[in-house]
Amino acid sequence: MKILAVEDNKELAASMLEFLSQDNNICEHAENYEQAVDKLSQYTYDCILLDIMLPDGNGLEILKFIRTKNISSGVLIISAKDSLDDKIVGLERGADDYITKPFHLSELQARLRAIYRRKQLNGDHVITFNEIALNTDTLEATVNSKFLDITRKEFELLLYFLVNKNRVLSRQAIAEHLWGDYTDNLANLDFVYQHVKNLRRKISSLNGVDYIDTVYGLGYRFKSTAI
Amino acid sequence: MRLVDKFTIWFIIIFVLVTPVSMFISYRSIKERMDTSETVRLTDLNNHIAMQLKSGAAPQQFTISHPITIERVAALPVNKVEVSEEQRFNRNRNQNECKLTVSSFYNINDSYYKISSYNDVTKSKEILNGMLRAVFWKMALIILLIVITTRLVSKYILSSFQKTLDTIQVFSLRQREKLELPETNTKEFRQLNSFLKKMTDKAADDYSKMKEFSENASHELQTPLAIIRSKLELFAETDISAEQADLIGDMQNAIEKLVRINRSLLLLTKLENLEYEAAEDLRFCKITNSVLASFENWIQLKNISLVKNVDKKVSLRIHPSLAEILLTNLLSNAIRYNWENGSIVVTLTSHSLTIKNTGSPLEIPAEQLFQRFKKSNQCAESVGLGLAIVKQICNVNGFHISYNYLEGYHILQVEFTKSPAIAEAFEEKQVGILLDSPAIV
Repeated sequence: MKILAVEDNKELAASMLEFLSQDNNICEHAENYEQAVDKLSQYTYDCILLDIMLPDGNGLEILKFIRTKNISSGVLIISAKDSLDDKIVGLERGADDYITKPFHLSELQARLRAIYRRKQLNGDHVITFNEIALNTDTLEATVNSKFLDITRKEFELLLYFLVNKNRVLSRQAIAEHLWGDYTDNLANLDFVYQHVKNLRRKISSLNGVDYIDTVYGLGYRFKSTAI
Repeated sequence: MRLVDKFTIWFIIIFVLVTPVSMFISYRSIKERMDTSETVRLTDLNNHIAMQLKSGAAPQQFTISHPITIERVAALPVNKVEVSEEQRFNRNRNQNECKLTVSSFYNINDSYYKISSYNDVTKSKEILNGMLRAVFWKMALIILLIVITTRLVSKYILSSFQKTLDTIQVFSLRQREKLELPETNTKEFRQLNSFLKKMTDKAADDYSKMKEFSENASHELQTPLAIIRSKLELFAETDISAEQADLIGDMQNAIEKLVRINRSLLLLTKLENLEYEAAEDLRFCKITNSVLASFENWIQLKNISLVKNVDKKVSLRIHPSLAEILLTNLLSNAIRYNWENGSIVVTLTSHSLTIKNTGSPLEIPAEQLFQRFKKSNQCAESVGLGLAIVKQICNVNGFHISYNYLEGYHILQVEFTKSPAIAEAFEEKQVGILLDSPAIV
């Protein structure tokens, strides 16, 4: 996946680039409107990460540019504003999704993947990894071609693991991914433990490999090689 | 009391106070004029008789009907004319009459004479009676006219004031439109209008500054937080020892809390800025069910029994995000502060939402429950803004929230004081922004 990150903050951009390029993504960075427009005119990208609060002009202008030039890339808006107006305006003007700062890098990855999946014409909606297959359209999962009976949350959790293979996922990041970020509710963390436990049990019962590794003090990791 | 009524009452009070005084003055002056003219007439008559006496002719003995007395006196008094008035009883007419006597003294041919003549004059009581009647009609007429004209005239005079009132009533800072008030030639109203204009302009200015500040604060804090969070995530990916992992974990927890506090405070600021206006009615029952469904796992995890009495077709005018936050915060509290194997009762009617849950009694006074950063058992896992947000959401939407602890149950009740919209008129449609992913169990 080829990604253009339009973000004025160098440190944050560096984090995003480092994280995303580990997954065989090609990442480029634009700091401002000019650079972004310049790159967008010359190259094609699968996804564009767009900070709508750029110092030299509103990021919404870039969105306008993308639309007028009929650029088909998926657009994920990043905003610190978290205001509903921005969200609605952004989505109305052709953005595909919206994420609020501060976000988890793993969440960013998951959102980008989701946009990418949706954007691919005729692309199949099945994500496979070894014996595990997830159909993002029907929300059905199979292990060794056998139906995996999991809840919607467990499905989302497994999908989150699959798009963030070999990453340490903190319990907070998982909780926020599964339950949204408006709950004043850190007790959900126990809950993450419960879900992960159930998921591991269910996959094992279908003779699936236990890929999920507990990282002491931090969270979990989905290892692409069996433990 | 209306302004016009106040004016009317004052007019009437002044009128009622002034009338007796003016009546007394007019009575006195009428009586005096009448007596004076009668005195002058009788004095003339006396002079005439004195002339007759002087010329030696037999003096006239009567006026028109009253006798004239002529007597000799020893000497002339200092005052040549004496006037006396007395009440006397007239047997024929069986009533009192007022008698005015004028006695004049003359020196005629070296003899001193006193010539007295009298006449009946109008009694004070009669004058008073006549006046009272006139005053009564006058008062009735004037009061009636005051009442009618003040109403008519005030409508005209106060019309610009009324327009000003109407304009401020619909004025909202959020509309970002300047206050436009009607022109008026009344000085006071001009002052009022210019004052209102200055005030609203200032408020609008402050409002936009506050909004700007909250947005800036948000931006300025969120970006560094995003950087720290992302760097820690990258750090966690590197080859680290267990000890370092522990440290990173602690830092992540702290940042998580910081993020939540920042987000909640911003939400509170936005609520105070009244940024969430509901455009249409919302199926509150649907959101209630979907939020309950999202908590199902957690409820099972704590082995809590849930009793759900959710009426169908409960619609409310509330922003969908706020409805969701309201329910999420209330329900997550009901679960978090519950006992293992406890119970929760959720009741939703078109008038109120009641959430009852078992749990230990509060350790803080109930009135502090809705204050910011007040937590009962300083539960490290909560920020302490959940109920403050709930309270603010209730304020914004005109709901009333109350707390009670009864027989081991915490009872939180939200009363929808605004009359709920008619559910029948509400078409069946999916509510736009629900939970991202309601659990399917």
